[in-house]
Amino acid sequence: MTHLSDQIIALSDEYVLGVLTQTEGALIEEVMARDPELARRVGALRDRFLPLDRSATPQDLPPEFITQVRAELAAQDRPLFVSAPPHAANHPSAPRKWRLGLVAAALVGLAVGIGSSGLKPVPNPTVVAVLVDAAGVPQAVIDDYGNDTAFVRFVAPITVPADRTLQVWTLPSEQMGATSLGTLDQTAATRLRFQDLPPPNAQQLYEVTLEPLGGSPTGRPTGPIIGKGFAASQV
Amino acid sequence: MSEDKSNTRLREALVDCAAGRHAGVSAILEHEGPKLLGLAYRILGRHDLAEEALQDAMVQVWRKATQFDAAHGSARGWIYAILRNRCLNTLRDGKRLSILSPSDLAEVQERRQAVVPTEGWEILAGPSRIRDCLKTLDGQSRHIILLAHVAGFSHAEISARQDVPLGTIKSLIRRGLHALKECLT
Repeated sequence: MTHLSDQIIALSDEYVLGVLTQTEGALIEEVMARDPELARRVGALRDRFLPLDRSATPQDLPPEFITQVRAELAAQDRPLFVSAPPHAANHPSAPRKWRLGLVAAALVGLAVGIGSSGLKPVPNPTVVAVLVDAAGVPQAVIDDYGNDTAFVRFVAPITVPADRTLQVWTLPSEQMGATSLGTLDQTAATRLRFQDLPPPNAQQLYEVTLEPLGGSPTGRPTGPIIGKGFAASQV
Repeated sequence: MSEDKSNTRLREALVDCAAGRHAGVSAILEHEGPKLLGLAYRILGRHDLAEEALQDAMVQVWRKATQFDAAHGSARGWIYAILRNRCLNTLRDGKRLSILSPSDLAEVQERRQAVVPTEGWEILAGPSRIRDCLKTLDGQSRHIILLAHVAGFSHAEISARQDVPLGTIKSLIRRGLHALKECLT
């Protein structure tokens, strides 16, 4: 018996096969990060499919390839690791706990923020999503009010190149696919207005991507993901 | 080296990566590099794209290594999945392929199509449980599943190439995966 829905299990099988879109794949990765049973199922099926991946004809690495990769690693900053407790990397459950801790910290920050703005009462959002980057660090918070209005604010320094636009997305349902909530050219807190979306659900996926100037040319996310996360119901 | 030992070595390499040691990435590439590059080349059909994908994937492995949990599957499966996803993103993100000329692009697509033969597909699975289970599927389902996993084709690409409606492809894949899992477990 499993608590997972047939739909999530079928999607996770298709994730292993490799036929999901990037947004659908992100959804499965988010569920896996929170649900050990799904992570185990995906890992087990992945291992079963591995002989197919290993049947490709080996290709010699170009000379200096390893040196180049190491130079790339050296060029990459890893602030997350620098601030990690020394035992974190070796403790099997530490990364997830720590990551959830960060999300929880962001949620607490959010609650404090709402509390301290009591002078100016605002309607409560229907759902709140904390969008985290690949390392689990919160990047943005989205309040979706369920009336075709959402509010996005960034909680980490994000550099937007001059020829790029930030675009906010949500996945209202598998049928609708990723749907744009709006674009922004800077990381100032912004109110987004959109049309004809169903009321947001708890566990609905939100993400922010970096797109070509003016927004995605295809109407679907194409650029790197700045942050993604699931909604938590506030009502 | 036995599979167990080899997986242990990759797991140790991930521990090094999680601790921020570059040597972990070197160990993965020394141990598994040619197979990994072979996988990327088979999906992407060009050496330059394959090398770029492997380099990016190794940076991701290094950055995400703290998220690896041996209770959820093998180190090797985890590393290969990161590379596969990176290769699929190259194919699905039109901008990355837009640098290619139309003839180069056509060549890439042709090469990918040729990756999965209708006859002699067994070579793609080696002597493995997955091969035994793929044998139990009907020919069309098996071919579609191999096009997706081995050549990295999307639902829509398979539908166009096989001239079969998208909905039919999706349900063939779901049914095929279901039957495969029944057989594998």
